[in-house]
Amino acid sequence: MKKAIFGLLLIIFLLAGVLLAQADDRMEIKLTIKNNRFVPDEIRVQAGTTIELAITNADPTVEEFESFSLNREKLIPAGKTVTIFLPKLQRGTYEFMGEFHSETARGRVIVE
Amino acid sequence: MLAVLMITWRETIEASLIVGILLTYLAKIGQTKQFRYVYYGVSWAVLASFIFAGLTTYVDLFVAGVGKEIFDAVVLFVAVVVLTHMVVWMHHNAREIRGEIQKKADLAISSHHLWALAILAFAGVFREGVETVLFLWGLVLQAGGAVSFSSQVVGGVLGVLFGVAMTWLFFKGFGHLDLRLFFRVSGVLLLFIAAGMLAASVGKLIAADLLPPLLNPLWDSSRLLDERGLIGSIVAGLLGYRSRPSLMEVISYGMYFPVVVLWLRLNRHDLAE
Repeated sequence: MKKAIFGLLLIIFLLAGVLLAQADDRMEIKLTIKNNRFVPDEIRVQAGTTIELAITNADPTVEEFESFSLNREKLIPAGKTVTIFLPKLQRGTYEFMGEFHSETARGRVIVE
Repeated sequence: MLAVLMITWRETIEASLIVGILLTYLAKIGQTKQFRYVYYGVSWAVLASFIFAGLTTYVDLFVAGVGKEIFDAVVLFVAVVVLTHMVVWMHHNAREIRGEIQKKADLAISSHHLWALAILAFAGVFREGVETVLFLWGLVLQAGGAVSFSSQVVGGVLGVLFGVAMTWLFFKGFGHLDLRLFFRVSGVLLLFIAAGMLAASVGKLIAADLLPPLLNPLWDSSRLLDERGLIGSIVAGLLGYRSRPSLMEVISYGMYFPVVVLWLRLNRHDLAE
């Protein structure tokens, strides 16, 4: 009985969270990974924009998009396109990189 | 080479944390013969990591959408549930444990608790396993094929070994605590670890755009302590520390404790009958 109550409370909490999640219109930005580099490697947006990144890996090897400041990490297999949702960002510069080729695969999101 | 070493070191510590806890805990209650359940979980996780790493080139749905984030969130949540059950179980058996301080307690563990250990070990290792395998494989390919040993590959493998060694040393220290102290300390530690995993699970759901961050980041203490560093990754693993958490993650973390305490209080009344 108690387990049922806890489970129900949890579901209610999660549902509330999902409903609260603003259905903002996300700005779609496309990136490509080519020759272990991001193209383009710089994205400029206004503060308050929510971004949906569509990253296509045009290289023959898997890559991992990683950004500490954006708090996102995602594997992108060769030839595939993945979606990464970015949160509403405050003004500043947010670095990201391709972890498997970190010397060359580097980029930034500049929020102004 | 150093950068690669740090990455795999950090990921291995996170993965082996749960394994270390389970093995130390079993040893303390005199159930070393049940170690194999933990080893089952770990070996399945390593195997599954290799299989999944091989599959990600083909499994579209899992990778392109938010399938992986949801999978991670569920795995982490399962770990939270199992860890919480462990704490509750330890709490209930506290009397028996306290009565046997001099010799190792021979507490009966039911079979589904043992499988819970295997599942927990699996969850802990698998989560990091797929990425680590892909990362190392990518390094091998970069170095020019399966038989090359570039300094990066060496660094990556060394990182894994260091991670395992460090976790082992850390838990060896724990093994020297006396039984009562061990259970008191480990109970508290498990709660913090579970809270951290709950926050991580919520973080994955936020990345999947299923939950709102509310405020992001709530604070930025990365200059004080960065969870990507050595000490930071230990604090992150044991206490669930994050340098740039969202409000939603902080709320989940904070709410875990009163919920568990409430659960323990409610269950105490059951025992009194």
